[in-house]
Amino acid sequence: MSGLRERRLELGGVEVALYEAGEGEPLLFLHGAGTATGFDSLLPLAEHFRLIVPHHPGYGASADDPAIRSVHDYERHYLDLLDRLEISDFTLVGHSMGGWIAATLAISQGARISELVLAAPWGLNVPEHPTVDGFSIPDAELAGYLTADLSVFAGKAPDPPTPEFLADRYRELTSTARVLWQHTYDPSLARWLHRIQVPTLLLWGELDRLIPVGQLPAWRSLLATADARVLPGVGHLLFDESAQASAAIVEHAHRHAVR
Amino acid sequence: MDVLGDIQFYVMNCHHYADIPAQDERFASSWVDMPNSEFDPVRGHQMYERYSRELRLIEELGYDAIGLNEHHNTPFSLMPAPSVRAGHVIASTERIKIMVAGVPLNLSTPNRVAEEYAMLDVMSGGRMEFGFPLGTGMEYWSNAAQMDPVTARARFREGLDVVLKAWTEPGPQRYEGEHFFYRYLNIWPRPYQQPRPKIYIMGGGSPETVDVAVEFDAGYSVVFTPIPVQLRAFADLREKCAARGRELAGEDIMLTVMAYVADTDAEAEREGRPYMERFFSWFHRVPPKYMTPPGYVTRANFERLASTRALAAAQESTWEDMRAIGRIAIGSPETVAETIAHWAREAGSSRIMLNMTHANMPEEMTVKNLTLFANEVIPRIRTRTAVAR
Repeated sequence: MSGLRERRLELGGVEVALYEAGEGEPLLFLHGAGTATGFDSLLPLAEHFRLIVPHHPGYGASADDPAIRSVHDYERHYLDLLDRLEISDFTLVGHSMGGWIAATLAISQGARISELVLAAPWGLNVPEHPTVDGFSIPDAELAGYLTADLSVFAGKAPDPPTPEFLADRYRELTSTARVLWQHTYDPSLARWLHRIQVPTLLLWGELDRLIPVGQLPAWRSLLATADARVLPGVGHLLFDESAQASAAIVEHAHRHAVR
Repeated sequence: MDVLGDIQFYVMNCHHYADIPAQDERFASSWVDMPNSEFDPVRGHQMYERYSRELRLIEELGYDAIGLNEHHNTPFSLMPAPSVRAGHVIASTERIKIMVAGVPLNLSTPNRVAEEYAMLDVMSGGRMEFGFPLGTGMEYWSNAAQMDPVTARARFREGLDVVLKAWTEPGPQRYEGEHFFYRYLNIWPRPYQQPRPKIYIMGGGSPETVDVAVEFDAGYSVVFTPIPVQLRAFADLREKCAARGRELAGEDIMLTVMAYVADTDAEAEREGRPYMERFFSWFHRVPPKYMTPPGYVTRANFERLASTRALAAAQESTWEDMRAIGRIAIGSPETVAETIAHWAREAGSSRIMLNMTHANMPEEMTVKNLTLFANEVIPRIRTRTAVAR
């Protein structure tokens, strides 16, 4: 299996980095609020799809875009990207904060999306199982909230962390704060989720401490077409922690292809 | 002209909650999340009474100004609303200037700050000066998250523009900015001092705050940064002002100094140093994440801070570090006079903001410190000008 290929594009004056592998139906993966662990764990998806993993503006190898102030700016950014790549029929996968962006995109762009996967998505207000406010977690405890398997950081985060590594994380946290500082959920999301009619898979780690799996029933009740899959023993960084996460996406796609 | 010829002494009283809790190691931070169950309202009342006595004494002893500032969620400061305190000080003093330094504009709205400050200026008959801080990182964790730190600097700049236009341009006026929109900016009352009260930007030495002081023709003050960083910021300010044809005066640069005076150097160190060290060990106890909420500094600045922190973590901060960060002037009247005269000339500053109440220092020691400084240090500094001339 070959690795991810990097490519740079300019969208609206902002340089963004894309990582691609594989052939076939496009699968756009929208990452969460950090890029530190990389995206090699998604390579199994490239055996079935044309995998496209962009870094959001303000994250990883993409430049900052000060114009991004809300999830709708991300939504429009990705409309620009889809037009540029001339993609109309595709699988959309979003993890965590990327799940929120993916859900927002699916609310308005249902006709372009063949299948939606929301993996531990951020954004719904579930008072009995609230999303933990990531900004308030003490630095020393953050890793334990992100994953049930601390080995996912091995070789990916310097130990002890260098000033450069910390500054990269601070920059991504700043980009996250642009859209998430004011709430631990999107107050208008529940109102519009009914517009999502494409086949949807809700994917969650059983041990997610950041966005608890207890939120899953609330999403299911608002998404008429959703299947759900809970991965045992897995935390919030489900793609890094378990090969089953990518496998579940492939299985779900096959089931819909057969139908 | 020698800056000492025009020198004025301000006394900042931060209104510390002076009871440091037993086994204070229990608390990782004295800011933001320090449990307020540790605040005793009866003790709090006694402290306000004590600080009222100190503020009146500052006028009686002939100091030029009283400084008041704002912080939230911390025993460092019993003054989340310095304008409230200033109203009381106006009524309990006769002539002394009062500097409110000040409300972080982002924690209020700029027209309200313009009104509140104009009200104080008119009530006091023009005794007010104002310092404008961006607000420490900690304030952004302690106030409504609807004020996000990512846009804080841009809002601060525009908010200051609103305050100054509200003060100096005839109303009603329409103001349409990126962050603030006023259909009728038209404050009643307007300031007593014309065209406006003297203002300072309170910074941390970053080029961004220096630029704000340059843009708005303001004075500048740096708080709690090592002396070499302060001097670089002053040089940066002087250069940028010169490029706009403005020559900085001594009154445009304010030095913040922690002072303790006793009869001899040895006595001052024995008496004062433990309280100054306590100030650092207790009130400077802030986890780095509270100092730099997301977006509060640039990525590059954060990397520089992270490098400094890595160094700091490797070695305990020494008394010498504290002296450079706090500009600690401690010793006999002669020593303290010489130290401050040197710093004032080196920085080109004729406005000295003194901190004289250190951590849990008892009232009698503060009174002795204020009295000795007024009677023995200030005349020695003033004499130095006479000699220099």
